[in-house]
Amino acid sequence: MGSILARMGLCLGMMRLRMTEDKLKVGFYNITGCAGCLLSVIFNEDDLLHVAKIIDIKAFPFIKEKKNDGELDVVFMEGLVASNDDVKVLKEVRKKTKVLVALGACACTGCIPAFRNFIQKENYERKVFLRKLELRDQKPVPIDKHVKVEYYIPGCPPDKNEILTFIKDIVLGKKPRGYDKPVCFECRLNKNTCFLDKKELCLGPITNGNCNSVCINGGLVCWGCRGATPDANFETMISLLKEKGIKAKDIKDRMKTFVGLKLPKEVIR
Amino acid sequence: MKAIKKEVFNRLISSLIKSYEVIAPVKKELVSFEVIKRPEEIYFKTNSYFPVKEFFFKKNETLFRFNGNNVKVPVKKPKKKVLIGLRRCDLNSILRQDMAFIDEDVDAYYKKERENCVLIGYHCSKVEDEYCFCGSLKLLDFFDLMLYDKGKSFLVEVGSKKGEKFVKRYKQFFKESKVKKIDKVVKGSDRLKKKDISSLYDHADWEKGVKRCLSCAACNLLCPGCYCFDINDKVEIKDLSKGERCRTWAACQLRCFTRVAGEHVFRDKREDRFKHRIYHQLQYFKEKHGVNLCTGCGRCIRGCPTRIDFVKIINEMK
Repeated sequence: MGSILARMGLCLGMMRLRMTEDKLKVGFYNITGCAGCLLSVIFNEDDLLHVAKIIDIKAFPFIKEKKNDGELDVVFMEGLVASNDDVKVLKEVRKKTKVLVALGACACTGCIPAFRNFIQKENYERKVFLRKLELRDQKPVPIDKHVKVEYYIPGCPPDKNEILTFIKDIVLGKKPRGYDKPVCFECRLNKNTCFLDKKELCLGPITNGNCNSVCINGGLVCWGCRGATPDANFETMISLLKEKGIKAKDIKDRMKTFVGLKLPKEVIR
Repeated sequence: MKAIKKEVFNRLISSLIKSYEVIAPVKKELVSFEVIKRPEEIYFKTNSYFPVKEFFFKKNETLFRFNGNNVKVPVKKPKKKVLIGLRRCDLNSILRQDMAFIDEDVDAYYKKERENCVLIGYHCSKVEDEYCFCGSLKLLDFFDLMLYDKGKSFLVEVGSKKGEKFVKRYKQFFKESKVKKIDKVVKGSDRLKKKDISSLYDHADWEKGVKRCLSCAACNLLCPGCYCFDINDKVEIKDLSKGERCRTWAACQLRCFTRVAGEHVFRDKREDRFKHRIYHQLQYFKEKHGVNLCTGCGRCIRGCPTRIDFVKIINEMK
């Protein structure tokens, strides 16, 4: 309840802000990641100039050469914490901004870089981390393990329309609406054939959608990059996949790929 | 009864395509209702996987556009439609949606799509698969024309004044038939044995279904009767005071369906959501409109990833 009130207060705060000042001061930052999520923002090519009219973009790698940030209202943070520098940047940014938004699977759930958590250290250490001293001692984790995060925009990469809708909502002082329909919802609307009926390892039923089932439309199964739905029925999902003849290890590895750190421990053990 | 030879029927369709939007089952990987361009596209062999409701109750409907406080309702005149190959269950689901959208308070958007359309059925000669149970639910004769497949030709039953007018208008294609009456019973379709489930709400056996439910909402989206919707505003990035209010399909199997302001979720438990759908289908709608919402097409079972057969669960309840 407390967090709900805090969020409502936050929205009201933003509305006031809109009235008293011109535009929201927004920063886009990245720590360890492929920068694909920031590209997703830029992929709104046709609307980008309009976006710049309604918010004041204070920092954005690729777009702005110089960061001119100071105090900020909203920060979109891409990437996960995987090095000491990441922690430093993240904590500094958190201090500067009123609202922190985790942008993309790395920031929200750890994504593929966090898969390192599930591998024995001896198997990878010698290949990279003994040679790169500055990378050695951070456990790869999503950003909310280090700082408070107000909103999450998941996906690898996140959907460009979802980012745009989020920006419109905060500018209007609306509370961005969380999305928790499974991928199957949009997949059935798109009239796809169910991959589970073809005995393939698709995580659609337990994965958050709002991606317009883009992978399945393109003939690929869902890997679960947007995280599990709030009431995902893991037990039945796993037993169903096993009934289809898929090995338990393959199921667990697939579930861990993008969101392993955010799954209940008993599911991935 | 009238009769029409299949090759003549194809000629009729070809001429209809010129002046109507002709919608019929088409087989791609799965069978679904589509607007067709040639009569050869029609696929009669199996019932469609996806429901026909999307042509009336749109997946995404703009209710109005707004510009500040200025509101404009889109004025569009839908094309005249002929729908072909609707099974008895599909036709009855259209009747159910008419009850929900037209009979009490008129939903102008739905009604506009339903006007000016001719419904031509295709009678099932046998049950589709182990999931059908239309015979357990009292379905009505609701069609303009009904086709009965007789090998090289169709027997045609006229079911309404609109159907009569249609046959008159295209009389050169139809012949008189000597057949006066036809057996409409689909053998083996009476699978649901318990017709009244009102006393079973707290039965422990529901757990069998709840446990297997992934809450993916495939059942809602494939149901030809489900008519719940969500409404959202979409604003334009160029001018945030401009935009449109849209109606999209909703699904009662999802938590967000009963999520209200303040994040309270009325049906938070999977069990409550699971039972709600079945009770709406087999009881609540009947209490209000006199007939079941469910028409026994079996799509929700056929399309369920775990094939939860609620008919079997109900039958096995002691």
